Amino acid sequence: MKKLTAILCAASAAIMLTACGSDKEETVSIEITDLAEDLLETVTSDSLSETSESLIPSIYYLDEDAVASAVAYASSGATSCEIAVIESAESEDVETVEEKLQTRVDNQTELYSSYNQSEAARLDTAIIKSTGTYTVLCVCDDTDAAEEILESYGF
Amino acid sequence: MAQERRRRRRRRSEFAFVLKLIITVALVILIFEGRLIYTMITFDSSEKHVAVETEEESETGQTQPETEAYAVSDNMYLAGLADAGAILSGTETEAETEPLTEHDTVSNPDSTAIVREQAEAVDDTYFSDAVFIGDSRMEGFRNTSGIKEGTFFTSVGMSLRSMTSKEIISDGEDMITVAAALSGDTYGKIYIMLGANDLGEYSWSEFKSGFISVMERFQEIQSDAIFYVCSCIYVEEDKVDTGDYINNDNVDSLNAVLLEVCEEEGYYYLDLNEVLSDGYGSLIEDASTDGVHLSSDYCKIMLEYLKTHYVNVTEHDSSDTETESETSD
Repeated sequence: MKKLTAILCAASAAIMLTACGSDKEETVSIEITDLAEDLLETVTSDSLSETSESLIPSIYYLDEDAVASAVAYASSGATSCEIAVIESAESEDVETVEEKLQTRVDNQTELYSSYNQSEAARLDTAIIKSTGTYTVLCVCDDTDAAEEILESYGF
Repeated sequence: MAQERRRRRRRRSEFAFVLKLIITVALVILIFEGRLIYTMITFDSSEKHVAVETEEESETGQTQPETEAYAVSDNMYLAGLADAGAILSGTETEAETEPLTEHDTVSNPDSTAIVREQAEAVDDTYFSDAVFIGDSRMEGFRNTSGIKEGTFFTSVGMSLRSMTSKEIISDGEDMITVAAALSGDTYGKIYIMLGANDLGEYSWSEFKSGFISVMERFQEIQSDAIFYVCSCIYVEEDKVDTGDYINNDNVDSLNAVLLEVCEEEGYYYLDLNEVLSDGYGSLIEDASTDGVHLSSDYCKIMLEYLKTHYVNVTEHDSSDTETESETSD
């Protein structure tokens, strides 16, 4: 009986360890700078520049503690194009990040609609997607190319 | 034989007749169209002359296209072929353009309200208690200058009217007015950039009274802050397609009003065009893709300007005391 119990314990421990191992394998790891630079290729009507990382939380209304790292490329003001890649500190923050990025898109749409209609229309095609702890906002010219890039990174 | 001689004589006389006819036609052309022929010859040589001069000029790096345009224009006018010549040389518009003259970026260069360059530049921490209020140009500055500190209440299309009454600043939940956003914290410096969306909207006197009123409101909210009023940055007129009213004459007029308000109300005026003007009353060529919004390199220049143009807190405090004593007197 003791032997049987020992075998069962060993087997369940092995299963649990295997499960943990497979969890680790599924963890998404993305080089956010590379992804942002790749997405930058999808913006052809404007020349975006990198925004200081310290300002990103305030631009996207994010809690600083909820952001592990972030990269953003933004416009001179000539177009509504922008790219942001946010890595959340915790997986439970991802949903909030998505909501805040959507708020940013909605606000920009409202402001551009009375200022520049074509740029407001571009915001209708804004892409917001997440995988693991990463969330992307992409307002660009070539959304098909952007979708392909995101797919290649596991989004 | 005699018949043969007669034939030769007839041929000679026919040849002489044709020759006389050709000479007569040539003389007629020369008499009546000589001026035109002369003009065509001289026009051709003047074109070559200008082409050579332009080549020399590009080698030496000098750029005064208007002068050359005038040279071409004079010859063309004398020739009576102004339009055709202009089309050929492609300088029709330039020929009518006034030569460029150096242009002051401020209406009153000696004004005490203008912030002068300091010997030492501050770093980004100077902006940690600063708030930047403005339109898409200020938003572009936040996005692309590399500035690391500061709070930004910006929105595309911001004008004096929308700044006063509309809810255009997002706090992440709702849209609120600039005044409400400004009430959320205490700031040491307020930078305000307006103008591009106000050109052609109201009379200058209306703009002045509206601007004074909004500044008074902001000062009530942030009574201890230093108020910097940024000049409206010049545009590159040829690239602007959003309306004729967005032109540099209007920018100059608006800046004169802003400087006047700063002088009268005790605000500090930042003459950004000092580093962004081409020297002739226009934005530096290629500083912007659309003629209005500065590209990253020029936003960085603007940031460096802000770091070297500031008011010492002690200076500001003493000017406040002076104002208070003047008021109590």
